[in-house]
Amino acid sequence: MKRLTSILGHSGAIAALVVAVLGPFLLFGWFQKGIGAMGLKIHPSYSGGAVSRVVQRPGYRILVYERVGRTTPWQRVDPFVQASWAPVPALPASVSDEVDVDGDGKPDFRVAFKPAELSVDAVALNPRYHTMHSSGVTSFSALIARVNDAIVVRLPVE
Amino acid sequence: MAKPVSTRQRSLGRSLLLTLPMLLWSMLMFSRALEQPGLAPKLAAVVTLAFVVALFHQMMRTTETNRWRRYFFTTLGFLFPIGFVWDLIALRGSMSIPMERMISGDTPFCFLAIPMMIVPAALTKTIIFPGSILPTASNPHAIAAMVGLWLVATLALGKGWCAYGCFFGGIEEGFASFAKKPRIKKLDPRWRWMPWAVLSAVVLLSAATLEPVYCAWLCPFKAVTEYPQVRSLETAAQAGIFLSLFVGLVVVLPWLTKKRTQCGFLCPFGAFQSIFSKTTAVDVRIDTARCVPCNLCESSCPTLSIDREAVKAGRPMISCMRCGACVDACPRDAAVWHIKGTEVGAAGERARLLHLYAAWAFAAMFGGSIIANTLSKLIGMVV
Repeated sequence: MKRLTSILGHSGAIAALVVAVLGPFLLFGWFQKGIGAMGLKIHPSYSGGAVSRVVQRPGYRILVYERVGRTTPWQRVDPFVQASWAPVPALPASVSDEVDVDGDGKPDFRVAFKPAELSVDAVALNPRYHTMHSSGVTSFSALIARVNDAIVVRLPVE
Repeated sequence: MAKPVSTRQRSLGRSLLLTLPMLLWSMLMFSRALEQPGLAPKLAAVVTLAFVVALFHQMMRTTETNRWRRYFFTTLGFLFPIGFVWDLIALRGSMSIPMERMISGDTPFCFLAIPMMIVPAALTKTIIFPGSILPTASNPHAIAAMVGLWLVATLALGKGWCAYGCFFGGIEEGFASFAKKPRIKKLDPRWRWMPWAVLSAVVLLSAATLEPVYCAWLCPFKAVTEYPQVRSLETAAQAGIFLSLFVGLVVVLPWLTKKRTQCGFLCPFGAFQSIFSKTTAVDVRIDTARCVPCNLCESSCPTLSIDREAVKAGRPMISCMRCGACVDACPRDAAVWHIKGTEVGAAGERARLLHLYAAWAFAAMFGGSIIANTLSKLIGMVV
């Protein structure tokens, strides 16, 4: 029995050495691919969630994302819907669009902003939502920001 | 501290022979840097290679572990923030990360967030960190890559990550080594349970709030890496907490106590990593038949992992990070490296060698590349 446990112990120590040596050549890549294949996504309060539909406007498009709600009652990020206007160079100097965030075919917000100023006025057209004025980014649930080639606006919803 | 009576030097030839595999491994690891254009990366790679191999040789020659490990680890600890902040300044002109960058997934992933991610990932299939899953042009430190690296380190080293991989620990060890003697010698042993309390709290709170609570509110190392841009009272408070904890737990207390106080009193990742102490084959034991006890092991342990109870039990606590300080300090060879399943003291040096080859191979690859990258930037300033 002592001999067996000794062999197992030595095998474990050698296996650790093999793992350390194989790490940079094989294991990092395997583990990275494995984790990438797990279907995990960045939490939507950071990423904005998945795109639910695309609205084409002359020269630019609006991506409307799925509503990001509270998964737990203790979440500090309030519910919001993200919409993004892209590409930025094609946007007019002053943008004003009506946006249907819940997909019922009726506009829910009139969103107005100047891409150069990053200040947004979002007037709620639906009594279930709240009018918002935001300059830049101070909260994950109500903001306007330039992210890569798009102007991202997060509209607070219930 | 008393010099161990058992300290024996190996012959030069034998120690060189034992160093040869690490030399070849390190040459392989740094060969890519030699292909880079310019003199600075090549020079940095050669200097780092010489440094890493020379320290390993000293470990082989003197049969001491911790002293040489600490030189490497402290160098890593002080060079990592320089290189990291250098890259941040080059990328966006500031150490602070604006929320726009978080939204676009540009936050470099830090392994300290791993324990907080697990429950939300299992329940919601999402990662509660504002980074990216796979590497992108604007964020090479992606989550999958860093978790993959952590998995390799954990399988190979277990809790040894804290002694051979964690650059944050290197900063603490650096400040701890500035003082010749500890000014505070008695620390309430109950403090050592604090990281477990912090781990439990941040895991539960992160699952409840779906945000990495420790990263957002408690991480002292934000002070020397990256912190949310101060735009509100909340972010100002966060910055204040990061700075206070850094000064208190990473600079002042390590200097006063010669211990890794952030690791010992706060770090939830260290507590989490302690769980993997059970999965590694090499550990440290105390031969109670040989032990006096003189408490040199207790006073030398940087993570408060040895007390009288541990000495009586013949093994350090689960938080032992395999740094070898106690083994080096023990004048009677009572504290020994040990392969699980074997008799205590039967093959101490063999256990140490097996541990060190794995640990140093990882350290040269991971920490060595960080040291070389930062050195390359510094050398590039003058060459």
